[in-house]
Parts: sequence; C-alpha cells; structure tokens
Amino acid sequence: MAKFVTIGERLSTTAPAVNKAFTERDPEPILKRAKQQLDAGAVYLDVNIGPAESDGEDLMKWAVQLLQSEFDNVPLALDTSNKKAIEAGISVYNRSKGKPIVNSADAAGRIENIDLAAANDAIVIALCNGEGIAKDNDERMGFCQLLLERGLEHGMEAEDLWFDPLFLVVKGMQDKQMQILECIKMFSDMGLNSTGGLSNNSNGMPKHIRPIMDSALVAMCMMQGLTSAIVNPNDLRLMETIKSCDVFKNNTLYADSYLEI
Amino acid sequence: MPFTAKSGKFNASIKAVTLGSGDKATTIGGENVLPFYTFDAPIEHAPKVGIEVTDFGMEHEPDCVKKYYEGCTTAADMVKKAVTFEGVDFVSFRMEGGDPNGANKSTEELIATLKEVAEAAGDMPLVVSGSKNAERDAELLSKAAEAVQGKNAIILAAREENYKTVGAAAGLAYSQIVGAESSVDINLAKQLNVLLSQLGVNPSNIAMNVGSASAGYGYEYVASTMQRIKAAALSQNDAQLQMPIITPVASETWGTKEATATEVDVPEWGDVESRGIDMEVETAAADLACGSNAVILKHPVSVATVSKLIKELV
Amino acid sequence: MALKGLDIFKLSPKKNCKECGSPTCMAFSMKVAQGAADINACPYFSEDAKAQLSEATAPPMKTVKVGAGDAEYTLGGETVLERHEKTFVSKTRYASTLCNCMDEAAIDARLAEIPKVDYERIGERMIVEMIYVNYSAEGQYDYVELVKKAAALGRTLVLGVTDVEVAKAALAVCKDGKPVLNGATAENFKEMNAVATEAGVVLGVTGKDINELYDTVKALEDLGNKNLVIDTTGATVKETFANTVMVRKAAIKDNDRTFGYPSIVNLAKVAKGDAHLQAALASIFTIKYGSIVVFENLTYSEALPLYGLRQNIFTDPQKPMRVEPGIYPINGADENSICLTTVDFALTYFLVSGELERSGVPVNLIISDAGGLSVLTAWAAGKLSSGTIEKFWKEHDIEGKIKNRQLIIPGKVAVLKGEIEAKLPGWEIIIAPAEAVQLVKFLKDMQ
Repeated sequence: MAKFVTIGERLSTTAPAVNKAFTERDPEPILKRAKQQLDAGAVYLDVNIGPAESDGEDLMKWAVQLLQSEFDNVPLALDTSNKKAIEAGISVYNRSKGKPIVNSADAAGRIENIDLAAANDAIVIALCNGEGIAKDNDERMGFCQLLLERGLEHGMEAEDLWFDPLFLVVKGMQDKQMQILECIKMFSDMGLNSTGGLSNNSNGMPKHIRPIMDSALVAMCMMQGLTSAIVNPNDLRLMETIKSCDVFKNNTLYADSYLEI
Repeated sequence: MPFTAKSGKFNASIKAVTLGSGDKATTIGGENVLPFYTFDAPIEHAPKVGIEVTDFGMEHEPDCVKKYYEGCTTAADMVKKAVTFEGVDFVSFRMEGGDPNGANKSTEELIATLKEVAEAAGDMPLVVSGSKNAERDAELLSKAAEAVQGKNAIILAAREENYKTVGAAAGLAYSQIVGAESSVDINLAKQLNVLLSQLGVNPSNIAMNVGSASAGYGYEYVASTMQRIKAAALSQNDAQLQMPIITPVASETWGTKEATATEVDVPEWGDVESRGIDMEVETAAADLACGSNAVILKHPVSVATVSKLIKELV
Repeated sequence: MALKGLDIFKLSPKKNCKECGSPTCMAFSMKVAQGAADINACPYFSEDAKAQLSEATAPPMKTVKVGAGDAEYTLGGETVLERHEKTFVSKTRYASTLCNCMDEAAIDARLAEIPKVDYERIGERMIVEMIYVNYSAEGQYDYVELVKKAAALGRTLVLGVTDVEVAKAALAVCKDGKPVLNGATAENFKEMNAVATEAGVVLGVTGKDINELYDTVKALEDLGNKNLVIDTTGATVKETFANTVMVRKAAIKDNDRTFGYPSIVNLAKVAKGDAHLQAALASIFTIKYGSIVVFENLTYSEALPLYGLRQNIFTDPQKPMRVEPGIYPINGADENSICLTTVDFALTYFLVSGELERSGVPVNLIISDAGGLSVLTAWAAGKLSSGTIEKFWKEHDIEGKIKNRQLIIPGKVAVLKGEIEAKLPGWEIIIAPAEAVQLVKFLKDMQ
C-alpha cells in the first residue's frame, strides 16, 4: 500500500495574506507558507487562486513555476473554478514528482473538469455531489459511478480519480458523520482512491479542539481506507496521527525516528 | 493474444554509492528494479565482489585458501596477491584480532597492518571491517577511518551502540563511506540510516549491512529482511532504505560444518574444498538474489564464480 | 485472488436499472466483490463477462502433482512472489541428469551417484528427488533401457524428449511412476498432448522464447490440458532467469493464468559444465521461482547448503522452524560429557550447535520441547521453565542416559538456576554467557 497523501491547504486566497501575495505577485509570503507545509511533511500543495476570472491563466502559471522552481518540482493541486487557468497551469507543470491534480470536478456543473484531467493526463478530485449535498450513500455512490464512468470513457485510469465524499461539519450534522466513514469504506472496497477536506468536520469549534477532532477523524478515515486528505500540514497532532496510522497500515516501515522523517 | 510482460520498473531507485578513489573506483546501487531484473530496466551498476583478508594473515585460513597465497607471510602480501585474482572488485580487510574476547590485539598493531594493507591494495577499493565488538570498534574503526583517509573506503560498520563515534569519524571527519550494520532487524536498519543522516552523514555515503547468515542457518530472516528493504525502498519510495546493501559472506560460511568437517570425519560428503566453495557461492548467490549490491567472499574460486554469475545475469 | 468491486464494475452493464435490487451497478458490483450478492442476480451481465470474472477469481497458479507413492511431489500453487508476504507452499525439487548420449560406464556411475545424497536435516529427508532423463537423437544408448534403469531408483522421472514415438515407448515402461513428459514444442504439441493425456502424466512445455512458450501453453489449454509445467530454460543464464521470473510474475502479480504453471529450470544446459556456477544458480532459482531445478550431477557438496537454504525459504513465516527434541552428542560426546540445554527453535539450535562444534569440547546438547520459540520468548510463554526441564528430564530419561551431572543453561534465563537446582537434585547448574558466540571461549575456559 502507498503512503497516505497529504495535500497542504494553506496556499489559499481565502487567507488574506495569500490573496494579497497572489494579487501582487509577491513570491515571499507564498514561498514561506509553501516551505512551512513541505517541512511539515506535505506531499502535494494545493494552489487555490479562487475564481480568478480576469487573470487566472497568468496567475496560475506564475504560481506553478514559482513553487516548482523553488521546491524541486513539488507536485501541486490546481484549485480554481477557472478551467483555462488550470490548463494554463498544467502547460507549465513539471510532472517528475507526480501528476498535477485538478481540484475539482463534481457530478453537476463541474463534471467537465474530468474531461480536462483526462485530456491532460492529470489526477482529478471528484466530488460525490450534484446540485447540493448528497442525501445518503446511495446517492453518493450514484454520483461516484457517474464520475467514474465519465473518467473511464475518456480514457482515464480509475486510480487517477480521487473521490471526495464531502466531509460534513460536526456542529449541525453530527448524525451524518458515520455515513461519510461508510462511504469511504465503499470507495476502498471498490478499489478507488479517495481524498477530501477533512478539517471541515471541526469548523466552528474552538481552535484548541480542532486538531483533536481532525486527528481522531483522520485515524478513523484511514482505517476505512481513505488514501489522501486536504489538510493543514502544520497541525502537528494531525500529521503525527497520519504518520502513526501509516505505520499501522504498513504503508511505511517503522523506525524509532518515524515522526522526524 | 500474445504475451505482454508488464514492466516492474519502479519510480524510485537505490542510491548509487561509489567506493574507492583511484582508477579502480567502483559503484554499487543505482538500480530501479529488483535484483537482476534487467528485463524491466537496465542495471547500470552490477553487484560487486570483494575478497576478504584478515589481520591474522595466513594464520587462520583453511588449507584450501592458503594454497592460493603461496609465498605470502603478511596480510599485505596476501592483499597484493588477492588484487590479481579474477573477479575481484574490492578488497575487504577484517580486523578480527581486535576482539577483546579473542586475540585482543592493540589498536596500534591493527592500524599498522591496515596501513600496509591499504598500501598493498593500491587502486583497488577498500572495505575495512571491525572486530564485531561494538565497544572496541568505536575506537578501532574511528582510527581506521583516519588511517585510510582519501581512500573513500567503506567502514564496516557503525552499529546502534557506536554509530555516533564511528559515523562521525568515518562519515564526517574523514569522508569515508559509513557501513550501517543491523542484524536482520528492518526497523533498526531504517532507524540507523535516519540517525546517521541526522548526525550529518550524507545519505549517499551510507551502505547497509542488514545481516547475514549461511544458507540453511536461519537464512529466511536474511532473505525476508533484504526483500522487504528493497520493497520499501523501491515500491514505497522510502528514502531511508535506499542505501545499497553490502553483505559479508565469508565470515559466516567458513565456520559452518559443511565447510569445515574433514573428509576423515564425513567421508560421504566428499572434497572439503568443494564444499567450502559451494557453501560460499550458494550463500552469496542467495544474498544477491535477495538484494545485496556487494558481497564479501574469501576463496578465489568463489570470487571468480560469483563474478561470472553476475556477468551472466546483468 | 479476490476481485475488487472496480474489476466487476468495469464489466457491468452500467444501466442502473435496479432490477438486481441494488440502487446502482456500482453498489451491485461491490456486493458481488464481497460475496454478498450473486452475479446472476443481474440479468444483463454477458456470459463473456462472467467467464472473465470466474477466471479472475481462480487461483493464480495451478497445483500439479508428479511422481507416485513416496516419490509424489506437489509443484506450484503459489500465491505470492516473496515468502514474507504469506508463505511459499511447494518446495523446489532438485534433479540430476542422465542422457542416452552418455556411455554405459558414465550412466552406471551416475546411477550409483544419485542415491548417495541421503541424509536428514531438521526432520526432513534430503535426497535427489528427481532424475532428468534426456533424449538425444544422436545418443547411442537405448533410451527406453535408460528410462528403465532410472526408474529403478524409485525417484520421480522427468523425460526430456521431444520425439513423439520415443516418448510413447518410454512412457510405456514408466508411466505408473507419474513422470513429467517434458517434450511439448510449438511443432509437436498436439501429438505430445495426446501421448501425455493417454498416459495420464504432466506435460512439460518448451519453446524457443517466452512468446512461443506462451502460445504453446495457450494452445494446449485450448486442447483441454491444464496438467502442465513450463520449461523456462533459455539459451543463456540471463534469458533463463528472465523467463522464469516473467512467467511467475505474470501469473501471480498480473493475473495472467496462461503462465500459472510450475517451472522446470535446466541448469545443466546453461551452466555449461561449471559446477560451482551451477550451484550458485541453484540458489537463485530456489529463491526465484524454480519448481524443478535440474543439475548435471547433484552431489553432497551442492546439496548441503542448498537443501538448508530450501528449508529456510520454504518455511512458513508464521511458524518457527523446530528441531526434534532430544540429546545431540557433539564433538564425540558420551555419557560422561557435560550437558548443555537450550530450546528447539531451529535458529537457536544451529547457532548453539555451531559454536559448540567450533569449541571442540565434547558436549551433550539437550534440546527440550519449547514450542519452537527462542529462549526468551519460550521463557516468557512458560515453555522454558524449571518445570518443563524437569518434565523433559523424566520423559526422556536423561539421568538414565547420561552419567555426567553438570548442566549449562542459557545465559538469558540465568534466573532459573535456583529452581532447576531444586527440581534436578544432584545436578550442578552452570550459567552460560548471554550470546552463543561467547560459548567457545566459555567452554575452553571451563576446561
């Protein structure tokens, strides 16, 4: 089994400092955050430039080249609703350390992002929802099938579709949490890869609680067969949990210093 | 439908480590396939074969080895001859006499012999092995690393008990290749590499001895340790296990009863020299099949045979 | 091999008609993969798809039986590529060669040589299990006579013969011993298939390269014969290794059932008279996928390390190897020699007995039943205690067999000294060093 793939989420326009750096094309804050995440063990970095309707293509190219030249062709997830920006990013992307990830497609308006990933030999995060959140796992798996078929039709390998069950917030949807875990098990039983924005579960909780909830959930998810997650790699407790779970799952060989590597 | 073989080439590879500094410098590792799987991808650096001489010179050698060193008296004499044998890629000098429970020779005496041996080896790459006593080796191997400065030799080996001293001397102060020894313990093998790296040793200057046994003597542990290490290094891309493996064979096999029992004691077993060679080459071949990038042998016929085996396979 | 839901889904009609009772084809595929639904619940799965799936769930490698009676061996049936993943199930079997191209004296010498290798190691009898009887068109010696002589040794025969008539004649005199007929080629496979099937023996397939092997195996399967072995020997050592590995890898890892058969690796052909090279190669093909490994002439020299290696490689990783409990006199020990006891874990036994032999001191090594565990594990599990030793002493009448009353116990269980002294009155209990390597010095110092 392959090691759990962490996708660092901290390069996002939702963070004002990042937004400002993107707008001003200021490398320093971007590289700093990228380095923090990589030092903490992130495998992929998510580059969320927002909708970026006016200058998305230019911005994504700039960001991809900036990050890959500085960090030995670090693999990236290209995160925007602007398809042209994703294509532009891929056009300058070096895949020596891993295929680019298209973030993301869904079973409704963004299904064409699967075609885009297929055409560019990329990985795609496939959200198992249509218009609105799936009401149950039958519906989730229905979306999953639709997305999978679309990918296979376009010549993708199933392993390049990473299915996202859509993690739900505990405060408000506590009774749905087990459904998500069961859904991950179904992906895993099917032999499919999976990922998702795991920390959504702890949205709205006190800051000191979130790492605890996120760590507990990631452990349960990894037991169910989750193969990746979009996370804050600078959450030490979470990363230590992931490394420990990788040992239990025999994804990586134990050594006394396993937390340091 | 015709047969189509799926490639077993990995995206990760074993680190290539060069030993020696002169014209005969040689490289081990670098491959991105399982041992001898040249049909998956070419193997640029074939495994290498070393010949072992100890500080006891001729004294402890069996008759069938002695006859190849006729006229030699010292270890250095033997090394001069050994480098001319067919198939020798490097010389391994083992300071067996350093064992405090054995001859317990002084460090000065052993290092003096080592210097003669290094001189006699000329351009031939060198591996220096200790006494197997971790405490003694901390001192002995540190001195050895200093004595052969510039040789880019493998110092065999740093262990859990003495890695700080041996690693610092061999890997930092005197720029040798650090041998990292664990005994069929895959977690420790990884941990030692981590510790040596944290000490500041360049991961490309580490070679592992992950344990050895003679064929038939608990060899399953050796086989599985090596195979699991190669699997982690290649299929899981575990950088802390991508160091090439060097395996001492002679020091194991020549003590077994298959190699030593006399023809008087077991007449049905036949020629004792042939038995010694077969024990040595069969063990070495198993090591290579499981993932060793270099083996250390003793009998010149074994060296030539294993060298031929490698040439046939790569 | 278990199928993933995805493999089934790919072959499913993808209609989501719900007629099977599942909401989607994907959900249905998942249930089938888990065994929770029968594939026939779907009216739209094509027969072809079902056949593909049933093939995919069959074991990756056939199990083939050769030989008869005591000389019957099981080949193949492996499910993993490396022993640590699970376990290897069918040991590599070794053969020596006879050929009708040899003269009578050489044949008789070889026939006399083969039974010489015969010994026991950790409860297993070690012999040259098979004889490869090669037929050469230029050979002067009568092949059927040669087969008769070989069969008389009671070992399983492998007939290396591509001439259909000769094969028929040879089988007429040896088919009851269930030999392997290693003789199907791209040219003669139909006739050879008829001969092998008629005689009820396993058919060996040869070919000029891996592609021809593949096609011939397929053609034989189409004729309904799945009682096959594949001779993976190539023109060179390199080609032989590549063929042998690719065949096994295709079967186990890539689910290509056509190559899911045991192998024959003929070292006599590729080692070209270099006996030590042949020995080294035998080691490699024991680890990597030789089912029958053929030597020119397998003597004690090659056998001693090789059979030990085979015992190691084919041991179940979940089960420790054990030696038979009992008294093992070392260095000519007799009833007056000192005693040393340890556990029946094979590795411990070999380490300790090796060191004892090196010491040259006569010692009675007494191996007690400790469940095949190492010293400390056995002690922790209660399988090595003063009580187990006392029991063992009684059951095996140690005091009747040995007059000496000094017993060395493992250094790692020094704590047992007092209790053992209490349970074995009259015995002097001596504590050994903690590591076996220190035994030589320890014993010499004692003397």
